[in-house]
Amino acid sequence: MTRWREALGRNETLVALVILAFVVAATLSDPRFFSIPTMMDLARASIVLGILAVGVMVVLVSGGIDVSFTAIAAFAMYCTTLLLVTYMPDLPWYGAFAVSMAIGATLGAINGILIAGFGLPTLIVTLGTLAIFRGFLLTFVGSRLISNIPSEMRDFSRMMIVRGTNADGSFYSLPWAFAFLVGVVIVTWVILYKTMLGRAIFAIGGSVESARRVGIAVRRTQFFVYVYVGALAGLAGIIHASMARVANPFDLVGLELSVIAAVVLGGARLIGGYGTLTGTLLGVALIVLVRNSLVVLGIPATWQMVVIGVLILIGTGLPAWQAKRAASRAA
Amino acid sequence: MQTKNTRHRAVLGASALALAVGMAMPVAAQDSKTIATVVKIAGIQWFNRMEEGVQQFAAETGHNAFQVGPAQADPQQQVALIEDMIARGVDALAVVPMSPEALEPVLGRAMAAGITVITHEAASQENMHFDIEAFANEDFGANLMEQLAQCMGGEGEYAVFVGSLGSQTHMEWIDGAIAHQEANYPNMTLVGDRNETFDDQQNAYARAQEVLRAFPNVRGFQGSASTDVAGIGLAIEERGLEDRTCVFGTSLPSIAGQFLETGAVDGIGFWDPAVAGIAMNRLAVMVMNGEEIYDGMDLGLPGYESIRLDGRVIYGQAWVNVTRENMADYPF
Repeated sequence: MTRWREALGRNETLVALVILAFVVAATLSDPRFFSIPTMMDLARASIVLGILAVGVMVVLVSGGIDVSFTAIAAFAMYCTTLLLVTYMPDLPWYGAFAVSMAIGATLGAINGILIAGFGLPTLIVTLGTLAIFRGFLLTFVGSRLISNIPSEMRDFSRMMIVRGTNADGSFYSLPWAFAFLVGVVIVTWVILYKTMLGRAIFAIGGSVESARRVGIAVRRTQFFVYVYVGALAGLAGIIHASMARVANPFDLVGLELSVIAAVVLGGARLIGGYGTLTGTLLGVALIVLVRNSLVVLGIPATWQMVVIGVLILIGTGLPAWQAKRAASRAA
Repeated sequence: MQTKNTRHRAVLGASALALAVGMAMPVAAQDSKTIATVVKIAGIQWFNRMEEGVQQFAAETGHNAFQVGPAQADPQQQVALIEDMIARGVDALAVVPMSPEALEPVLGRAMAAGITVITHEAASQENMHFDIEAFANEDFGANLMEQLAQCMGGEGEYAVFVGSLGSQTHMEWIDGAIAHQEANYPNMTLVGDRNETFDDQQNAYARAQEVLRAFPNVRGFQGSASTDVAGIGLAIEERGLEDRTCVFGTSLPSIAGQFLETGAVDGIGFWDPAVAGIAMNRLAVMVMNGEEIYDGMDLGLPGYESIRLDGRVIYGQAWVNVTRENMADYPF
């Protein structure tokens, strides 16, 4: 009985139930919703959001917050594309990915130096760098969209894991880019749960002071976290540009609240020390579902914001309220 | 006519003054006019193309015509630039206003100083001698719809996209398109609302995916924002529907080119800013020479062979329809 209650009180269960309810409602209003093409569209839409969300979750677990990751993603994506178009149009796609991740990691390191090196508050630092990275990109690198992206990037977006034909002869497909989301999840899982580094990230998120006393290198761990989220942002950015077949410097920025909302919905705590990959992925699934089901459900565009807000309040408020009640009952 | 003559004298006076003061202007023939084209923003492809037209006009006519624009899309910076031009004593201004309202005072001062003012993309402007529009918005929308209907064989479901429901031009294009369809192609049906894309290709892509899911029989798409057809094209290509759907909309070859190549987008329409630049300058000279502008007049430019005059607003039929075959002719 208590185990049931515990399971119900977890964010993951709650979010999974909401997703289930949403899918049932959408299917009832339009039976065509529950189909392979829809699932493929949603999977495709969750790649970039998912990679960004995994990075943000790691930051939240470490007790920090990062809002600059979208600017890093846009910066890395645009610079890489420009570099490729201008100097090395024949660089294979994995080369482009490596360049973009390196640029992302470098920008993440700037955050890392300011946060771990100077001990500045994470929100303030990343708010500042969000504006700086974006402004620098638009002022000095370029503000014009590049629609003739290198053919290698275009080819990457056409590489499919599965491809099938619908009853009416149209295709559905899942691109290889999805494998990158899976890869990122696996790598992050290994880091968080199978390494000392992962233990250290959880520990400093729980309490910096305790972590320091047990001999954890707090600064080095923090520095790693921001470099890691930067590299993931670079990866997400280049995948975004490849799949959209255009490098638009105005893209991605503005997505940060949706990503943070997904992670928080998935149960990661803003005060640090707690967060799961399952929860994060469920949160991403829910946000993607809401953002991509407007026409089917007939929801006006502005309503999706209200829906997401309500979901956050319920999804994070209910478990918190239950925990408080349980605590007062125990006392 | 009387006012025109006095203005003419004022213009002559201003240019005589400019010459007398010895401003840094190229040596020019006696009847050479200085015409400044002031655009919304400098350095973007659209206005770079317009500058090519202005330079061509200058080379062909010997007038001192040049183009300037603010570094940022900011009405106040455009106001400051126009004030600079008034101070430099130009004979005429050809302006593409960022915001017609914000420019009223400064254009009023320019006219008071005897400068001929021509505007473009600003049919609501008060302080100008003439405004020249490439086309009436409804006609342009109907032109796109005509091609869409031809492609669809005059039957089937179609969906429409706008950059934003608040964009007057986009809404008028779609109004014109739907009216044209209802009048001429009764077997075509519009499905869904006007899909709003916020001038964002990713948004257009997601909305197109949804339309394809919600209305599996949809066979036609008409876009409005320049990024609409690119987003729609991507969704079409992913589903392998290139041959069974028709996609038309306002865009530029630089944005929609890769989808025109694969056939995911069938055709785009736009107006050539180079021709619009020449038209503004030519009109400015005509006004300064006291020539009468009348309905049905031929400005001697493609799309402006028979202009429609509505008050002081001139409409051409200067749209350009581009398909895979002729996209190479428009490198912008």
